[in-house]
Amino acid sequence: MAPKKSASKILSLAPVLDLNEATTLHGKLMGLRGSNIVVDASAVERVGALCIQVLMAGAKSWEEDKQSFTFSKVSDAFTKTTQLIGVNIDHLIAKEI
Amino acid sequence: MDMNEIKEIFFQECEEQLAELESGLLRLNDGDRDPETVNAVFRAVHSIKGGAGAFGLDDLVSFAHVFETTLDCVRSNKLEPTQDVLKVMLKSADVLADLTNVARDGGSVDQARSAQLIRELDALAKGEAPPQAAAVVAAPKPVAAATPAPVANDQGFMPVAFSFDDFGGEDEPLMEIPVYEITFKPKSELYSKGNEAALLLRDLSRLGEMSIHCNMDDLPPLDQMDPETAYFSWKVSIKTDKGEDAIRSVFEFAEWDCELDISSVDSGEDSGPAGDELPMQPVPFDLSALDDELEVPLGVVEEEEQIAAAETASNVVQLSAATARGADKGAAAAVAAAQNNAQQAASAAAQTIRVDLDRVDRLINLVGELVINQAMLSQSVIENDSNGVSSINMGLEELQQLTREIQDSVMAIRAQPVKPVFQRMARTVREIADITGKSVRLVTEGENTEVDKTVIDKLAEPLTHMIRNAVDHGLEMPEKRLAAGKSAEGTVKLTAKHRSGRIVIELSDDGAGINREKVRQKAIDNDLIAADANLSDEEIDNLIFHAGFSTADKVSDLSGRGVGMDVVKRSIQALGGRINISSRPGHGSVFTMSLPLTLAVLDGMVVTVAGQTLVVPLTAIVETLQPDAAAVHSFGATQRLISIRNSFCPLVDVGRILNFRATQANPVEGVALLVESEGGGQRALMVDAIQGQRQVVIKSLEANYTHVPGIAAATILGDGRVALILDVDAVVSASRGNPLHLESLAAAG
Repeated sequence: MAPKKSASKILSLAPVLDLNEATTLHGKLMGLRGSNIVVDASAVERVGALCIQVLMAGAKSWEEDKQSFTFSKVSDAFTKTTQLIGVNIDHLIAKEI
Repeated sequence: MDMNEIKEIFFQECEEQLAELESGLLRLNDGDRDPETVNAVFRAVHSIKGGAGAFGLDDLVSFAHVFETTLDCVRSNKLEPTQDVLKVMLKSADVLADLTNVARDGGSVDQARSAQLIRELDALAKGEAPPQAAAVVAAPKPVAAATPAPVANDQGFMPVAFSFDDFGGEDEPLMEIPVYEITFKPKSELYSKGNEAALLLRDLSRLGEMSIHCNMDDLPPLDQMDPETAYFSWKVSIKTDKGEDAIRSVFEFAEWDCELDISSVDSGEDSGPAGDELPMQPVPFDLSALDDELEVPLGVVEEEEQIAAAETASNVVQLSAATARGADKGAAAAVAAAQNNAQQAASAAAQTIRVDLDRVDRLINLVGELVINQAMLSQSVIENDSNGVSSINMGLEELQQLTREIQDSVMAIRAQPVKPVFQRMARTVREIADITGKSVRLVTEGENTEVDKTVIDKLAEPLTHMIRNAVDHGLEMPEKRLAAGKSAEGTVKLTAKHRSGRIVIELSDDGAGINREKVRQKAIDNDLIAADANLSDEEIDNLIFHAGFSTADKVSDLSGRGVGMDVVKRSIQALGGRINISSRPGHGSVFTMSLPLTLAVLDGMVVTVAGQTLVVPLTAIVETLQPDAAAVHSFGATQRLISIRNSFCPLVDVGRILNFRATQANPVEGVALLVESEGGGQRALMVDAIQGQRQVVIKSLEANYTHVPGIAAATILGDGRVALILDVDAVVSASRGNPLHLESLAAAG
């Protein structure tokens, strides 16, 4: 489902999402609680399992909050790493209607 | 980093893989039957194929694919690596190298040769090996049915889409590959220690077809989670013939930081293709160049067309072994990947990084300046400190020590073993042996002798020339060898060693040796020597280095050497080296090259000669002595000898040889440095005084000024003066009657 862009906040992910970035990413997501969120993962060059955990936990929480959590753009690196580790984000990717 | 840079890295890695391939094949050829050697060879070809696939280098991929298939037969003990089999493989390695070079530099390969080798490889894989190969094989038929021989000609070949694990095809029961189920639950420590589950999974996927299921049940809501705690765990099913050990080796550095359970799914079962009945819901994803995605900047990834294949939703992970190159694309990821990749660890004992040579050069120059400045500072302090003891002096000593350590370390960066060059020579030997119909064995020794990279780079050309000559002209035909009571197989031996601060490379053969009569006659015919010239054997042998021999017609009439050896000599001299030859008729020849370790630091004896300061390499000096008048004897009109412990040694006045003075100095007033030269024998070099020993930084005279006969290089002393470093061998040679200026002309010519 496409989010209502006007009501959404955009979270742009850093190019490198490693161990060091996990806490930062967690903090950013916590700061965005209560809003629809659009994650821009287009700049991601490298992502580790910890940051994917944080994002998936975010998606879970947003779902519980009945708010929108979508990925607007994802880099191939991001897509393929999630595929590699067996995490399916297809349902979170924004699709044009 | 743009695509070209990544491609360049790929080609650099290809060079390493090709070296690994050749080295492994040669080991197998020597009787090594270690499975790891076979695996290393296989991996090398597989890595090249995988990387080439990512860049769409179809010719390379196609050939590598066929090669790899045959290697897989060896790997799975279905094909015995006999000499005949390895001969084909070594030639295939050559073609693979050619294809790689063409892919990088353009040009074309010998298609006929390539096609021929594809046929030979295919035949081997089908069990149609030469009789002696087939006889040893217990079950030579497998794999063959699916061998993609026509692949090379198949224009529609899709390089990325295959893996070595599916060669067998569905109708090949003997290719049944076991399936393992792996439960992998990382602890938080795994991440905190710098490991990365994604990289481990990636390495795992290299082992074969993989399906994966991520268990996210333990993942709490965002506000209850610790972002650095491990919540995900995985169930992986992998179809691989590499065994459980290979799987465990992926987790080698992480086994204490995870829960790991590995079990074989089809033990005791003869089930169908593994992975079909997995209890998991694998996540679809693209096969292509997955490794890159973990580490390659986005801009690069976007250029890869295969990425669109995500929509193909394959439920099997197939990873190209080109993944090895991923380690270079991100420092942090590289470290983690290297730690976790047991395969890489097996082939490379130490972690390495690639550094632009220019950067190392700059660093070396700077360290050289540091050393010189440190020496100047030390000298200033010493001159201004009358007591000779002070805290400054102590500090300076420490600085000196530190500087030396830094310098040693920096120099070591550029030093590389001569192994790659030696390995290249193996190919030359093979090719020339094939052309000439001779049977030749190349023996190498001292491959790990290190020398500066600039020397290594320039060594290949003269060495290739000499090897060609050794095989073509030096060795006799098998029947002639047998008739002479030798083995039919000739031996060419290449050795490297350090001696007197230089690297000495020796090339010897057990051929017929130089036919001196013919060489002499040729020299007379070419007006190089007078018809009545009285030359020693050594002098006759050295005639082959004369340019006249390479430009004359019918040089191949010579049974010895003679083709292009002047070029070899010039190349060696351009490197600041020398080349000598010794030959025994009927027994072979030995070429000895002595090359400097350029850019190296030299421990030298600083001496004064006719008011000039010179540095004599310490490694050349045997002892120093103050000549006693009674010990000095005249010999002929100009020669003088000094008696040392009941033997006589020629005295050489360095000042006179170098034209620093017109007349010979009085030996009793000077100091004699007893030196040992490359050509053997000792000489007592007369200098006026010894200033002391010092470590000096070599500055090339050729690069900064011009070649000076008798002088090897220059250095800058602590007081800022330039001092010349003596070329001991040249001086000794000059003392034997070979004037320095002629040497100079030869070098220039």
